[in-house]
Amino acid sequence: MARVELQNVTKDWGTAKAVDDISLSLEQGEFAAVLGPSGCGKSTTLFMLAGIYMPTRGDILFDGARVNDVEARDRNVGIVFQSYALYPNMTVLQNILFPLRFKKVPKAEAEKSAREIAELVEISSLLDRKPSQLSGGQQQRVALARALIKKPNLLLLDEPLSNLDATLRLSMRMEIRRIQRELGVTTILVTHDQIEAMTMADRIICMNAGRIEQEGTPEALYTRPETVFAASFIGSPPINLLPGELTADGLRIGETLLATRGETNARSVKLGIRPEHVVANGHGIPAEIISAEALGRETLYTARSALGDTRFLEATSAPKYKAGEQVRLSFDAAHSILFDAERDRRLEGVSAHA
Amino acid sequence: MSASSSYRQATNFAVFLGPALVFLLALLVAPIIVDLVVAFTDMAQTVTINEFTTKQFGKLVHASDDSWLGFELRGTFYRALSLTAVFVFLTLTIFNVTFGLILALTTTALPDRLGAFFRAVWLLPRMAPSVVYALLWIWVVDPTERGLLNQLLVHGFGMAPVNMALNHPMALIVISNGFIGASMGMLILTSSIRSIPQHLFHAARADGAGSLSVIRHVVLPALRWPLSYITVFQTLALLVSFEYIFLLMGSSRSTMTMAMLAYTKTLAPGIGSGQYAYGAAITLILIVIGMVSALLLYRLTNMKALLAKPRIEVH
Amino acid sequence: MSGLQRIARPAAASPDWSRLAVRARRLGALRRWSLVGFLTLVSIPILLPFFWVVVISFSARTGGVDSAVLWRACAVLVPCVLGYAAAHVLFPARQHRMVSAVVATAVAVAGLWLLVGSDLHLDNYRFLVSPNLVEEIRGAATAGGQFPWVWNAFFNSLAVAATSMAAKVTIATLAGYYLSRFAFRGRSLFLQSLLILEVFHPWMLTIPIFLVIFWVGLLNTLSAPILVLTVIDLPFFIFIMKGFFDAVPWDIEMSAMTDGATRRQAFWHVVLPQAYGGIIAISVLGFIRGWEEYVFVTALRTGNSYWVMSTYLYYVAEDVMGVDYGLVAAVSVFYMLPSLLLYLFLQKYLTQLTLGGVKG
Repeated sequence: MARVELQNVTKDWGTAKAVDDISLSLEQGEFAAVLGPSGCGKSTTLFMLAGIYMPTRGDILFDGARVNDVEARDRNVGIVFQSYALYPNMTVLQNILFPLRFKKVPKAEAEKSAREIAELVEISSLLDRKPSQLSGGQQQRVALARALIKKPNLLLLDEPLSNLDATLRLSMRMEIRRIQRELGVTTILVTHDQIEAMTMADRIICMNAGRIEQEGTPEALYTRPETVFAASFIGSPPINLLPGELTADGLRIGETLLATRGETNARSVKLGIRPEHVVANGHGIPAEIISAEALGRETLYTARSALGDTRFLEATSAPKYKAGEQVRLSFDAAHSILFDAERDRRLEGVSAHA
Repeated sequence: MSASSSYRQATNFAVFLGPALVFLLALLVAPIIVDLVVAFTDMAQTVTINEFTTKQFGKLVHASDDSWLGFELRGTFYRALSLTAVFVFLTLTIFNVTFGLILALTTTALPDRLGAFFRAVWLLPRMAPSVVYALLWIWVVDPTERGLLNQLLVHGFGMAPVNMALNHPMALIVISNGFIGASMGMLILTSSIRSIPQHLFHAARADGAGSLSVIRHVVLPALRWPLSYITVFQTLALLVSFEYIFLLMGSSRSTMTMAMLAYTKTLAPGIGSGQYAYGAAITLILIVIGMVSALLLYRLTNMKALLAKPRIEVH
Repeated sequence: MSGLQRIARPAAASPDWSRLAVRARRLGALRRWSLVGFLTLVSIPILLPFFWVVVISFSARTGGVDSAVLWRACAVLVPCVLGYAAAHVLFPARQHRMVSAVVATAVAVAGLWLLVGSDLHLDNYRFLVSPNLVEEIRGAATAGGQFPWVWNAFFNSLAVAATSMAAKVTIATLAGYYLSRFAFRGRSLFLQSLLILEVFHPWMLTIPIFLVIFWVGLLNTLSAPILVLTVIDLPFFIFIMKGFFDAVPWDIEMSAMTDGATRRQAFWHVVLPQAYGGIIAISVLGFIRGWEEYVFVTALRTGNSYWVMSTYLYYVAEDVMGVDYGLVAAVSVFYMLPSLLLYLFLQKYLTQLTLGGVKG
């Protein structure tokens, strides 16, 4: 199957809109992540693709054909659920074989491919166990095997890593990516974890309140966020967003006037600048350190200045400044992102620096 | 400190558990013991005990060298026993378990409101007072053409009127008890189906399962324990129930189950003849069956969860 | 790579999606309608008799029972219900459904008014206002003056049902909480004994219970059935309440205690409000059980001195006016009404009941 498309899809629950008029399309073999906070409609979108929910309006197309009314069982879609949803009464092998039951695959052949898939996800030694006897990571691998065995047109992953501990999450991230590459199956990952989305996906679809905020490569989302939401949701520690007024003279934030380049139509804006791009190197805007948090490899400071409270990072493991210390902050025009405060969109061709 | 703590412990026990203990001991445990004693006496209408004897059991069975058990059942008791077995088996398998399961499966497959409506309809017989319910049945199966059933048969299907109470007494008590019994299974199984995680249904659908496969592979495995529980419990409930049978059929011999026999020989209004020791002997058999069922229930109970230790140690 | 592709590459050919969509639509509609059809069919034998009794109570004249009114009423109601169902399917919009519901109701009311309106009357309900019904019907001599006014039986039944319900709910709540939350010696023994006692329904023990009540001298009283009703389902209710208390997080209680509450205060102010759902559910079941009681009211000879609704109806139907179907039906409807109203309004609490302790 070549393409999966959503066209102007809306899903209402009663009067509440879970998904509000979204359109997107995926090419064969692509790995896309739908990223957003909980309740933004990302899982609903996933379940509509699987055929578990029906869109209220709009179309879902597989290879250009409308599949809104096709039942989940006919769509040949593999899903890994957040809770893994393994059948508790069946062994691991029976779980993996379950989808083939309905495809009339001869028994010997079915078992052969089950063992191959088990090999691929590295659970060959667990085939006779019951799900309750497995660890979270093992259950996850079984769920993945069950989703893959039917050679799905589309693999859907619903927060698959959120129930795992931190180390396991790291290795499963790579595992899933490896398997997806090897099989070349079109995959959609739903997650609220930006690092998961950034590290695993070719393309990120950032959702908020049922709408798509922005889609693009991880790099594009990070360096050129289109909306204030996309800017603030992606990046850790979060981006500094400083409200100000754009005038003919420059960007006025509080009492301070920052130099600007480019368009100078007067309007309210928000200045976005990532913490790693703010430097405290002896010139620029005077500020007072109000907190210092050691993050391990680096230290996160919060400084109070005429611009407001600003976060910045220094690549030292031991704090260089103490609370109360005076510093001067500056940043480069290339790293500044300006948003129109009313339309909530990024302003092209304008930048500011200090 | 320790003295006041143990005082508080004692008063807490008395306040919280005392009333339950008193009622259970006085009206469940004591009667079981009383029954055990009275079954071996000659107590009759005067409610006095003159001698201890096993003659009550002699009314139920008599010694026989031909039988390999060493005794044979007497006619009345044999009849009661087989009627009980037929009544319990049919009601249980057709209604309380099978139909209860069908109702739970079908109503949960419909949209919530519609499913709830049909469940409410099936709970109606249980919620209506027993005398009203029995009266309804008496009118429905009235042997003349006044009865609702006969009106339907005669005018609707052009058949001859039937006299259910006379010609099909077992069918009558099975159906009338079953309409009530199905609702208990329906309620318990509905809540069991509801507690299956939604994701399992979704996963099965996405794996290609149709409705019947979902029932077979996802729903039924989850209903294994509730179904066994219902089976044991409803068997017992049917075994000892006589209220509807008595209200519908009176002292008719055609539906004289064991519980009915004990009731009509002792306390039934109008016809009870006060043979308390005889009734107690039959009751004793039911008590023994109850004990066996209790052991079965033991196996069905998650003892670890039931006996989970409290986590606050202060009283 | 070729091995892996064999493992999990989907077949190149795409399925015929539109054919699958058509099949799914057909199957979905078929499934939905066969379910609704099946459930409607099996529900008719239950609904029809209840409806019949209500119709009789409002339409029967002294003497016979006329079911022509029933069939005429059905002839009006069935098309209205079917029509509304069809409208419900055809119009997915809420507003249209409301309109069709109003239209269906209006047609039903108008149809009933035309076809059966002239047959309806309240005469059968005169027992509610006339204290000496039997004398009225049979003359003072035969009635013997012992048959009471219905309100007498009504309030006796109310007393039996309400008292036994209150006792049962209180006892089950206290015991359920104690068993859920307190450690004491013999706890597991008590719980296991309770499990055994659960199987001994008082119906099974009617005879020995009668003997116990006889020996303590409580025959012919209203308190005897109240006491017995209190233990009917009591172990079951204790387990239900224990289950509800088990589900209340320990943290709430611990934090109440660190805030200075004693355990009894924590129970009353913090834990009990969390278990309201269970209390309401067992109250409804307990009340309905007491309201319908017949076996113990007769077995414990309460009926000799007090009338309750069950014996009142039984007497009306069997002994006094067995031929006056209208009157018997009216008494039945009057007797059912409290149970059904209670059930209708508190139904949602009953569906929360689950099996305590059964393996999952």
